[in-house]
Amino acid sequence: MSLKYIEEYRDASLARGLVKKIRLVSKKQIRLMEVCGTHTTSIFRHGIRSVLPDNITLLSGPGCPVCVTAQKDIDAYVQFSRIKDTIVTTFGDLIKVPGSGSTLGKEKALGADVRIVYSIFDAVNIAKENRDKEVVFCGVGFETTIPTIAAGVLMAQSQNLTNFSVHTSNKLTPPALAALMEADGIEIDGFLLPGHVSVITGTDAYRGTFEKYDIPSVISGFEPIDILEAVLYLVQQNESGTPELVNAYKRAVSDQGNIKAKKIMNQVFEVCSTCWRGLGEIPQSGMKLKKKYHGFDAALKFDMDLPDVPEPKGCACGQILMGLKTPEQCGLYKKKCTPMTPIGPCMVSTEGSCAAFYKYS
Amino acid sequence: MTKETILLDHGSGGKISHSMFSDMILPLFDNPELSRQDDGAILNIEGGTIAFSTDSYVVDPIFFPGGNIGDLAVHGTINDVSMCGAIPKYISVGLIIEEGLPMADLQTILETMAKAAKKAGVKIVTGDTKVVPRGKADKIFINTSGIGIIPPGVNLSGSNAKPGDKIIISGTIADHGITVLSSREGLKFDSDIRTDSAPLNTMAQSLVNGDCDLRVLRDPTRGGLGTTLNEIASQSDVGITIDELTLPVKSAVKGTCELLGFDPLYLANEGKLIAFVPEAKVQKALEIIKQDEFGKDAVIIGEVTQKHPGKVFLETAIGGTRLVDMLVGEQLPRIC
Repeated sequence: MSLKYIEEYRDASLARGLVKKIRLVSKKQIRLMEVCGTHTTSIFRHGIRSVLPDNITLLSGPGCPVCVTAQKDIDAYVQFSRIKDTIVTTFGDLIKVPGSGSTLGKEKALGADVRIVYSIFDAVNIAKENRDKEVVFCGVGFETTIPTIAAGVLMAQSQNLTNFSVHTSNKLTPPALAALMEADGIEIDGFLLPGHVSVITGTDAYRGTFEKYDIPSVISGFEPIDILEAVLYLVQQNESGTPELVNAYKRAVSDQGNIKAKKIMNQVFEVCSTCWRGLGEIPQSGMKLKKKYHGFDAALKFDMDLPDVPEPKGCACGQILMGLKTPEQCGLYKKKCTPMTPIGPCMVSTEGSCAAFYKYS
Repeated sequence: MTKETILLDHGSGGKISHSMFSDMILPLFDNPELSRQDDGAILNIEGGTIAFSTDSYVVDPIFFPGGNIGDLAVHGTINDVSMCGAIPKYISVGLIIEEGLPMADLQTILETMAKAAKKAGVKIVTGDTKVVPRGKADKIFINTSGIGIIPPGVNLSGSNAKPGDKIIISGTIADHGITVLSSREGLKFDSDIRTDSAPLNTMAQSLVNGDCDLRVLRDPTRGGLGTTLNEIASQSDVGITIDELTLPVKSAVKGTCELLGFDPLYLANEGKLIAFVPEAKVQKALEIIKQDEFGKDAVIIGEVTQKHPGKVFLETAIGGTRLVDMLVGEQLPRIC
């Protein structure tokens, strides 16, 4: 499987040219937040922090879906896996995330039927092949993932699969950006907006937040050239004092986004308030199943209502996700909290900021 | 007693595997031969020196493009013995078979094992077969152990790396890891990626005999190149810097890695070696490797440094640097 447009966007001389230009233009001390976990990983993986001047600080925001999944949702997944004759299907990086007691990985080691799938459609097929068992899909993700979960639910419905259900922890990006801007002590001079999410939402989805807070905002792809170019735009806007909403990922993102995906998402789900791990409840930032699809709601089906769980003591993930602290400023980082023994959510997923800091620096 | 249980991560070859080895296994079996932590034990017996190594193969699926569990098990042990500088001679084979395995599959596996051993000039001289009830194993597990003779004067170890040494890899990385992953149920790609599983004994002996002042030989299998380099940096208490632009990765492998969120530095190779040699001998060593049928794509990928002992750094294509840490647990596909 050869992917086009990788090498072109990793071109060394082009990248070095962009770095030179950033260094030339950048004078002010600025703090830029990348909102997406894939950006965080890419920034570290390509050593982008090490080539930027010291006056530019890159902050990792709440953009790793695994990291912001509420602990009580993880507890629910663990509980589902303990129900007799139940198969729990999940994306791979949720396996190691600690809830308040266990992880899906540990439950699997103890005999639970937990299966890693690459798409919800695999989970639907597992339900089709195992009609004598209940199949629960752990639906965690942003706008990139929600339409596929909706399509999975519709697929299960069309096949009359009454043994299939989902427990979703869907999150929406624009409300989280607004919540960040409203939080006390926030110092952000620009957003590197998520490329994948924007493919679905389109540039228009950010217009409200941009107009209200007048903050430099650039939608960026994930290759080093994409990111450096976006950083350059954010630097230029800060230096000139003229904030703009720029789509620098035009090869994938349109103004309206993916209309079909949004339609299917709104057919199955409706907007609701939801709890973000580390950040708390954010109004209108989640999506829950519409009443018509409650037959596919695993929590209703199994009468699962788990209590809110306090964040682990001493964990600074909430402040890290808001850019108020760096991982090194957390008392647990590299001491009690490591990728082998993760305590906070940012250490669990490879796209979490603490895990990325630990792995790459 | 602890309530902890074994997780798949304990078998990943990364940090969690290493912790289990150093905290649990090494203290109980402690002896100088095991403490060296090389690919095989180096033993002095009756005036001669031999290398002795063992490995178990539990790969899923058992058949994959370019090979199967049988030739993988033979090559793996031949290579572990060869990385000690030894000429592999004899191999044992232990088969643990799940009831219900088609006889034809076993026949194919045994035939490829025989062929692999013959090509490498080693004999399978002893073995054992057990059959377990259905569900108590996954089709077939194979253990192989091997013995080889170390020529006089040869002293290779992961603890021999010195600042200034250059590092060569014998070809493209991550081919085997991606082949197996993309052959798994639920993740089938149409691609021409094949395992690199191959015997490296001829290449290793050519280097040993090639007047290259060879210091370290390793095959970066489970845990990949990133993990193996970390092991050597730690064993030799030196720093290692590699250059991203020189790392050989096939374009199809790179594409699959991008799609699944895998880093090729941490994916398994089964027919590649890395060699550490002084700078003055690096071109000579490179030529020797390139002349071997499995070393045509060999390149110099980095060097040993005095700074940051125990750590591996990557100079990225865009001119940055970043740490290459040891793999922690199993690499898992990402969500988005």
